[in-house]
Amino acid sequence: MIKFLGDSLNHQTLILGNGPCAVAAAESLLAAGENIIIATKDDTCNLNGSVDSASLQILRQMRCLSCKGSVGNFKIHGIQKNKPVAIDAGCIIIAEEDQRTPNFSLYGLNASSNVKTLSEMKTLLSSPSNEKNILSEIKKVIFLTGLVKESTPIIAKEVMLSSLLLQKDFGLQTYILTKNLKVAGDGLESLYRDTKNAGTIYTKFTDDVPDIHQGEEDNIRIDFYDEITSKNFRLTPDMTVVDETVVPSRYAADLVKIFNIEKDVGGFVQADNVHRYPVLTNRKGILVAGPSKSVMDVDTQRIDAGNAALAVKGLSAEKTNAKAEKAYVHEERCIRCLTCYRLCPYDAITLNTRVAVVPDACERCGICAAHCPMYAVRMADLEPEVISELMGTGGGIDRQQSFVPFIVAFCCRRSAAQARDLAVCMGYHLPQGLKMVEVPCSGGLSYDHIFKALENNADGVMVLTCHKGNCHSEQGNIYADQTVAQIRDMFSRIGFEKERLLIQTLASNMGTEFARIAGGFEETIATLGPSKLRKNCKKPITKARKDESAK
Amino acid sequence: MRGKHVLIVGGGVAGLSAAIELADLDIRVELNEKSNFLGGHAIGYACKAIDNTCVKCGACMVEEKLQRAVSHPNINISVGSQTQGISKNGRFSASVRRQALCIDPEKCTNCGLCSNRCPVNGAIIKSFSKNNHPFYAINIAKCLYFKDRSCSICCDECPEAAIDLDNSPSEYTIEADAVLIAAGFLPFNPRNKPYGYGRFKNVVTALELENMLKRTGRVKKPSDDLLPQNVAFIQCVGSRDAKLNHLWCSKVCCGSALRMARLIKDRQPETEVTFFYIDVQTFGKDFEQFYREAREDIRMIRAIPADIYETENKALKVNFVNHPLHQTREEIFDLVVLSVGITPGEDIGNLSRIFKLDTDQFGFLKSAGEDATVSSNGVFTAGAVRGPMSIAESIASAGSAAWKIVKYMGGRDLKFD
Ligand SMILES: Cc1cc2nc3c(=O)[nH]c(=O)nc-3n(C[C@H](O)[C@H](O)[C@H](O)COP(=O)(O)OP(=O)(O)OC[C@H]3O[C@@H](n4cnc5c(N)ncnc54)[C@H](O)[C@@H]3O)c2cc1C
Repeated sequence: MIKFLGDSLNHQTLILGNGPCAVAAAESLLAAGENIIIATKDDTCNLNGSVDSASLQILRQMRCLSCKGSVGNFKIHGIQKNKPVAIDAGCIIIAEEDQRTPNFSLYGLNASSNVKTLSEMKTLLSSPSNEKNILSEIKKVIFLTGLVKESTPIIAKEVMLSSLLLQKDFGLQTYILTKNLKVAGDGLESLYRDTKNAGTIYTKFTDDVPDIHQGEEDNIRIDFYDEITSKNFRLTPDMTVVDETVVPSRYAADLVKIFNIEKDVGGFVQADNVHRYPVLTNRKGILVAGPSKSVMDVDTQRIDAGNAALAVKGLSAEKTNAKAEKAYVHEERCIRCLTCYRLCPYDAITLNTRVAVVPDACERCGICAAHCPMYAVRMADLEPEVISELMGTGGGIDRQQSFVPFIVAFCCRRSAAQARDLAVCMGYHLPQGLKMVEVPCSGGLSYDHIFKALENNADGVMVLTCHKGNCHSEQGNIYADQTVAQIRDMFSRIGFEKERLLIQTLASNMGTEFARIAGGFEETIATLGPSKLRKNCKKPITKARKDESAK
Repeated sequence: MRGKHVLIVGGGVAGLSAAIELADLDIRVELNEKSNFLGGHAIGYACKAIDNTCVKCGACMVEEKLQRAVSHPNINISVGSQTQGISKNGRFSASVRRQALCIDPEKCTNCGLCSNRCPVNGAIIKSFSKNNHPFYAINIAKCLYFKDRSCSICCDECPEAAIDLDNSPSEYTIEADAVLIAAGFLPFNPRNKPYGYGRFKNVVTALELENMLKRTGRVKKPSDDLLPQNVAFIQCVGSRDAKLNHLWCSKVCCGSALRMARLIKDRQPETEVTFFYIDVQTFGKDFEQFYREAREDIRMIRAIPADIYETENKALKVNFVNHPLHQTREEIFDLVVLSVGITPGEDIGNLSRIFKLDTDQFGFLKSAGEDATVSSNGVFTAGAVRGPMSIAESIASAGSAAWKIVKYMGGRDLKFD
C-alpha cells in the first residue's frame, strides 16, 4: 500500500496576498475543491465574494506573526484587527504584492508639481477627464528611466504606454531618456515602434548620463550630448516623470523571518537558486508566487498562480518517502546542542519535547548528520561503514607494476555524479583507479567519510560539489568546502600532502569538465605516489623517485 | 487522476516539465518527440558558471527534467514520432508516425563503436545527455545504407547486435483526454544576413557556440581548431528587425551571450571579447552586478555591424558605425558569434492546422488573454512555441499548462487514489 503525503495533510491552504496572483491562486484552488483561507493585509479582499463560502475563509487586515510546524500541519499565529488569530494549514502560498520606490534621488530631483513618479503619471492618465486638465496646459513631458540603475521591462512598458497616450490623446511631445531600453517582454518591441511612430523621441545613453538640474520654481533643465547626432541638447520640460524601482514589500521581509525561508539579494522571497523554479522555497509546503518573488507582469503572475496551485495538488499526490531513509535522532546521544536545528536548510528539525527530524520535511541532505558532534543525528546511507562499503578498498601496490592511484570521488547526486556518467557516455577515459561514491549532498560529508577513504587506501580524495548558488540545500557545498579546508589544513600541519584532497565544483551537464578534473587529479596523485597511510604499501615509490632512479 | 491520458507534443524542457508534473499526479503521459533525442534546444547548452559560481542560466535544469522524465513510470516516451492527424470524439485520437529507429535501446551499451567506425560525417549523431539512451542515433538523411545500401559497417560491427538498419517506420494511434503542444521554436537562420554565415567558417551562431562549449568546454575557431584571440558577439540577429517583420525581442539572447562571453574570459582570459548590441536586456536577479562585472572585461559597443568580409587567413573584417564619431569602422575578429533569435517553430503551420489553433501576428501559438481562461477544446500550449522565453519561463509555462489540463480533465473532483 503506497502512502501519500496527502493522507496526513491538513487540506487547507493559507494564501497571503490580495493581488492578481493571490486571487488567481485562490480561485483556481477553490475551483479544484480545495479549502482556502485568504489573508490580506488591507481592509479589502479582491477575491470575488460570491465564490463558494463553505470552503473559503477571508481574513482581512491580517498579519502573520509566527509559524510553527511543517508541511501538512503548519500553525500560524497572527493578528487581525488587533485580535490574535490562529490558523491551521497544510500549505502556505505567499503571494504578497511588491512595492515601488521612486527614483528621484538617483536623478538628483525632488518631487514637485512638475516632477512626478511613473505611478502618479499612470494614475493621472486613468483619472476622470477634469483632473487631466493639467495635461492640456503643458507641451513637453520627459521620462527618465534606467539612467542610473538598470530598469525592467515592466517599468519600460508603463513608460512607453504613458508616453503613447500623452503623445496621441493629448498631443504632447514626449521624450524618453534611458540607457538600455528594456523590451524583453511580450509586445514591447511593437509598443516601442508605436511610440516612435506617434512621435516620442528617444535618447539613449551609453556611458554618460544627462545633467539634470532642478532650478527655482522647480523648473527642470536637462543638458546632454546626443551620441547619434553628436550635438549638445538642452531640454526644459513642463513635466518630468521619474521611473521607479520595484522592491519587495516590508511585509515580505517579515514573512522571510516568520517562515524561516530564503530570500534573494534584493530581499524578494525565494532564493536565487534554479532548484526553486518556479514557486518553491527551501521549506516544503511553503510556496511563493507572484511579485513576492520577483518583478513580474500580470500574465506571469497568473502563470505563477497556476504553478502554486499545481504544487499544492502535487503534495496531496506525493508518495511519502520511507521514513527509514530520512535523518533521525538517537535520543540517548543527543545533548540538545541544536547544531542540527541551526544548520538544517529545510527547517526539518523540531524541538518539542525532544529534538527530532520531521520526515516529510527532510530532504535527505545529511548536513545535520555530518555536523552533529555527538553522532546523535544519523542518516542510514551516510553511515561511514555504508560509505566505506561503497568505495571499497584500494588493492595492494606492487613494485613491479606501474602505480594506479586509488582515487575516491565523493560526488553530489544532483551534479557531479551526473557529470561523471555523462563523461562516460561521451567516451572519456576516466582514471582506472577512480571510484565514485554518490552522496545526496556534499554537505553531508564529514571528517569520517574522508578519513574512511584514506583508511581504505585511497591515494587521493576528491569532493565534487555543486557550484555556489546551485546547491539544493543552499549551503551544503559551502559546508563541504569548509570541511575540506579544515582537513587540508590539518594535513599540512602533520606533514601529509594536502594535495591529496581536492574540492571542485561541477554541474550535472559538465561531462567534459569532469573528465578534465579527474584526469588532472590522477596526474597529481601519480606524481605524489602512493599514500603514506596505505596499509599495504611497504615501500612507497613516488613517481619523482622513479624518474630519478631511471636517470 | 488515474485513467486519464495526456498527449504531449515536443520533448524540450517545456514538454518534459509538463510531463513530470502530470505524471506525478498519476496521469498517464504520452510524450512524442520528433527528433531522435529529448531535451530540445536547451539540452545542448553549456553550464556557464564562472569562478565556481552558478550564473542561473538554467541549463542544468533541463538535464534534471530529462532525467526525471525518462525514469518516470507514468511517462511513455517515443522519439522520432510525429502526430499526423487528430480526431476528437469526447477524447482525442491521434495518429502518430514513428520513424525507423535503428538502434535498440535494450541492447545498446553506448560504447560508441558505431560512431567511431561510421565513414560518413554526421550519419551517426550524438546526444548531449546521458539521459538520452541510446546516446547515439542514425541520421537517416546521411546514412549510406538509407541512400543506396552501400554501407552497413555500424550494424556489422556492433558488438551487441543492437543496430538494425532495416527497421521500418511505424504508425499507431494514441488516445488522450487532453493535448499539450510544446513544440518549441526555430532559431533564426542567419544565412541571408550579410554576415557570411554558412560561407565563412569562423562565423557561428550562439547556439553552435553553446553546443561547442557543452561538448568541449572550450571555444575554438572552426577553421583551424585554435583558440581565438578576438571574439565578437553580434546581438539581435533576426530579432527586433523591422525588415523581417520580426518585431519582437527574443528575450534570452543577451543573457545567453553575455554569460558565454564571461565564461570565455574566465576560461581563456587572453581572448578579447567584444559585444555589439542595441540595448542590453535585464536577466537574472543579480543583473546589476553581473552587468557591471561584465563591462569590466568585455568591450561593449552599441552598434549592430553592417556586414562582414573574410580575410585571406580566415579572419573576419567587421564593419560598423562608430558613434559618436560617425565613422564606419572596420575591425578584425577571428571568431564572430551571431546571437540568433527565437522564431516560430517550423511545424507551427502543421500543428495549428491539425489542432485547430490560431497563431498570433508573428506566428507563435499564443492567443491573447489565453492565460485568463481555461481552454475549452482540450488543446493547450507551453514553452517557446508560445513566443520567446527562457528555460525558467518554459518550466513555469509548462506548470501552468499542466494545471490547466488538470482542471480541464477533472473539474472539481480531482481524485487521487
Ligand atoms: C542561442 C540561444 C541561447 C539560449 N540560451 C538560453 C539560456 O542560457 N538560458 C535560458 O534560460 N534560455 C536560453 N535560451 C532559450 C531556450 O532555448 C528556450 O527557453 C527553451 O529551449 C524552450 O524550451 P521548449 O521546450 O519550449 O522548446 P525547444 O527547446 O525548442 O524544444 C521543443 C521540442 O519539440 C520538438 N518538436 C518540434 N516540433 C515537433 C512536432 N511536430 N512533434 C513532436 N516534437 C516536436 C523539438 O524537436 C524539440 O525537441 C536560448 C535560446 C537561444 C536561441
